[in-house]
Amino acid sequence: MGLISGILMGMITGIALMAGWSRMMKYRSNKRIAKAVDIKLLGSLNRDDLKKICGDNFPEWISFPVYEQVKWLNKQLSKLWPFVADAATAIIKESVEPLLEEYRPAGITSMKFSKLSLGNVPPKIEGIRVQSLKEGQITMDIDFRWGGDPSIILGIEAAMVASIPIQLKDLQVFTVIRVIFQLTDEIPCISAVVVALLSEPKPRIDYTLKAIGGSLTAIPGLSDMIDDTVHTIVTDMLQWPHRIVVPIGGVPVDTSDLELKPQGKLTLTVVKANDLKNMEMIGKSDPYVVVYIRPLFKVKTKVVDNNLNPVWDETFELIAEDKETQSLIFEVFDQDIGQDKRLGIAKLPLRELEADTSKEIQLRLMPSLDMLKIKDKKDRGTISIKVLYHDFNKEEQYQALEDEKRILEERKKLKEAGVIGSTMDAVGAVGSGIGAGVGMVGTGLGAGVGIVGSGFGAVGSGLSKAGKFMGRSITGQSSSKKSGTSTPVNSAQENGGAKPL
Amino acid sequence: MGIVSTVLGFSGFGVGVSAGLVIGYYLFIFFQPTDVKDPVIRPLVEQDTKSLQRLLPEIPLWVKNPDYDRVDWLNKFLEYMWPYLDKAICKTAKNIAKPIIAEQIPKYKIESVEFETLTLGSLPPTFHGMKVYVTDEKELIMEPAFKWAGNPNVTVAVKAYGLKATVQVVDLQVFASPRITLKPLVPSIPCFANIFVSLMDKPHVDFGLKLLGADLMSIPGVYRFVQELIKDQVANMYLWPKTLEVPVMDPAKAMKRPVGILHVKVLRAMKLKKKDLMGASDPYVKLKLTEDKLPSKKTVVKHKNLNPEWNQDFNIVVKDPESQALELIVYDWEQVGKHDKMGMNVVSLKELTADEPKELTLDLLKNMNPNDPVNEKSRGQLVVELTYKPFKEEDMPKDFDESGEVEKAPEGTPSGGGMLVIIVHEAQDVEGKHHTNPFARILFRGEERKTKHVKKNRDPRWEEEFSFVLEEPPTNDRLHVEVLSSSSRIGILHPRESLGYIDISLADVVHNKRINEKFHLIDSKNGRIQIELQWRTS
Repeated sequence: MGLISGILMGMITGIALMAGWSRMMKYRSNKRIAKAVDIKLLGSLNRDDLKKICGDNFPEWISFPVYEQVKWLNKQLSKLWPFVADAATAIIKESVEPLLEEYRPAGITSMKFSKLSLGNVPPKIEGIRVQSLKEGQITMDIDFRWGGDPSIILGIEAAMVASIPIQLKDLQVFTVIRVIFQLTDEIPCISAVVVALLSEPKPRIDYTLKAIGGSLTAIPGLSDMIDDTVHTIVTDMLQWPHRIVVPIGGVPVDTSDLELKPQGKLTLTVVKANDLKNMEMIGKSDPYVVVYIRPLFKVKTKVVDNNLNPVWDETFELIAEDKETQSLIFEVFDQDIGQDKRLGIAKLPLRELEADTSKEIQLRLMPSLDMLKIKDKKDRGTISIKVLYHDFNKEEQYQALEDEKRILEERKKLKEAGVIGSTMDAVGAVGSGIGAGVGMVGTGLGAGVGIVGSGFGAVGSGLSKAGKFMGRSITGQSSSKKSGTSTPVNSAQENGGAKPL
Repeated sequence: MGIVSTVLGFSGFGVGVSAGLVIGYYLFIFFQPTDVKDPVIRPLVEQDTKSLQRLLPEIPLWVKNPDYDRVDWLNKFLEYMWPYLDKAICKTAKNIAKPIIAEQIPKYKIESVEFETLTLGSLPPTFHGMKVYVTDEKELIMEPAFKWAGNPNVTVAVKAYGLKATVQVVDLQVFASPRITLKPLVPSIPCFANIFVSLMDKPHVDFGLKLLGADLMSIPGVYRFVQELIKDQVANMYLWPKTLEVPVMDPAKAMKRPVGILHVKVLRAMKLKKKDLMGASDPYVKLKLTEDKLPSKKTVVKHKNLNPEWNQDFNIVVKDPESQALELIVYDWEQVGKHDKMGMNVVSLKELTADEPKELTLDLLKNMNPNDPVNEKSRGQLVVELTYKPFKEEDMPKDFDESGEVEKAPEGTPSGGGMLVIIVHEAQDVEGKHHTNPFARILFRGEERKTKHVKKNRDPRWEEEFSFVLEEPPTNDRLHVEVLSSSSRIGILHPRESLGYIDISLADVVHNKRINEKFHLIDSKNGRIQIELQWRTS
């Protein structure tokens, strides 16, 4: 009797113990999970959550801007800055000098840093925004502002003139830097980093140039040339959708997806323009149009003399890399003795186009793309175009990529051979077999002709300066400057094929 | 009978308990699922007051304290990266564990040990605020509030004697407030030499440890015991002021301190090319180490000579013999205008053996590009003798002390006395009426020392060190530091003006050995100057 009751009692106790334990387990497990949930919730509080928690005691120091403030990072940065400035000098020199070489205008034979120090003022990060726009990628936008006091001295050599030191002063950089991290399963989890400057809002890079021990006028047009170089580097290398891809980690990864590739082809007919502004004292304007998506690849129509309602009816082909963000820029110029005057500029975002549908569009010409700078609201006429956008398939894309590479390669060779002065030349050869006339002959400085100020029909390196010139719009300060020199006067080589020689 | 029945009763109870435990185990635990479910997260707005009440103690620090910054962007970043990080970490962990397990298994007659599941779960760690401290020392201090309440699931299955046992770790929670110090700061990427991590509080650790599916941690008392144990263990190792040190780079190398001297004897040059229109060239040689900011050294000019003999000696300080190289450029001197380059060559210091003179005959080149066809033309030759003398260990400059400890005074310091070291770091917001080209002037016992001038800068950095050897401690002395500006133009008007001064009593330094502080300047609007004082005794 004792045995059985003992066993029974024992069993009940045992089961009860186990039941208690299991209950305890559940309780603790639930508690932990609840805590995990709490922590997770509190980790990403937004304004409404906080209102709900704090009620009337909402802390006043808290705000929720789109770009989250990073005061602590700025504090650290300002402390670290003297050391970073020291360390970065060599790196900047190494990476920027080849760029300067690639994009330098024809009038300049060499452009190098002779002194580079980043100064005492650290940059400021106004805010950071993190989002994931695509599976496996993290997009980080950094609102970056730097009004620094760097001491940058460029040693510039131009034909006929000895090296002159040019100082870049009062540098100001306001931009949003987009950094995209490509994620991977291997440590350190990031296989590549893509860096670009967001095009909206437009990057602002301001500076003043000063010649040391001389005057900027020693080489006419020099400051404009430097401005152009900087502008082109920024827009064509850094500004979204253009980007720099940096692979990270020992494992070689395929970054081709991240790089910018030709995405489609634009078949564009510049039909005519109406009611252009008359810029000439005698007679009427002699208009022509320059069209581009990237400033490296520009095309140009022929000049219609003495006409404010010109008809060109010329067809070009242009390559688009990113339909979403890129725009087609039209600039109408008046050919003139001396510097050509811009009659107006128009922009057509590619986003508005439908694939494989031909579209006729009339665009209003503006004095400038930057709406803030437009003073006179006078009508500048319209331009009529016909566009057909075609999305590349894989093979076409590959073909286009190869073509582009080949053309750049050729230009490089030509440059080395001294035929053209800069990679920026030979506009129009690209993407358009239709002999879009290039013939923009520049200051002729590079050609050694030495006719400064108005390289009238200067042969030779015929830099596309004029063309680039029109594309200027980055800096508030620089675009207000007038180039006294660049003279896209002559379209002698118009329709003469690719190379100006 | 009574006794027998009691004994039977007890033994029956014993058997019953065991049986009951087994039945209970199968009933309540064994058949319970062991997998970890993702917790359901409801938005905060939907929750009721009661659950909000529960949340209150965990409110992030950035909500409570204005000196903590919100780091949502970092949390978001982590969140997006977490799935990848999870896979990567688990993969690495498995790879590391495998060989260790394989090595250990035979000793214990265990058939296999393997990870049945290994995942860190879906919840990433979060930072509930970030605080930084700004000090006058060369260091960065930050304190993130780290909270990870995750749902990882690590199951290890052990097989032995045909039986399988599993150990499972679930719901790991770690809350910690580490302090991360980066120091010393150095002028080469990544700009700091060491990372120090230490914990400001004992960390909170909680987890479920399931043996055969039963959570040991929920046995009353066990959890508290284990948690205390872990806390104490971790605290023993890393609780402030104990730190975990992670060296990133060698500070000595990063500081780019000199490690040796290069003796260069420029002997002669042969068959130089004529550059001048009239007469022969007037050659001289410029020497420079690459990656060096010092001005280059020059030989004398040998006029009208295409085979000049210089026989001049130079000593150049070497900072990194591995990467630095000596650059020799022969120029043609001109009375007027730019000096023409006649040729150049570069000798890498790696090619030299220490303390061994080496005579080199170098072909002069137009540039250092070996493929450039212009280099095929002969430009003459340059003969130099090079000796690289690395510093011996004993005469190496003493380690730069960043830890706050003061070095010993050098040999020969009188006993009872010592060396007073004054380091003028930087000044802020100094402004002159007419010009601001500040330099600091130090006056101590009638001796005057000056820093170099910084041009047109309201926040100059000097980083200059001065030392005075003294017979006895300067307990009653004062140090006069004045910031002055001198006009960059030579003129009678405002040649020099004072931007502010400060008198520092040295008694504190003798007492404390080291003081690093920002002082407000007198007779200055807002100016401050950072001065470090050290009293080194033998």
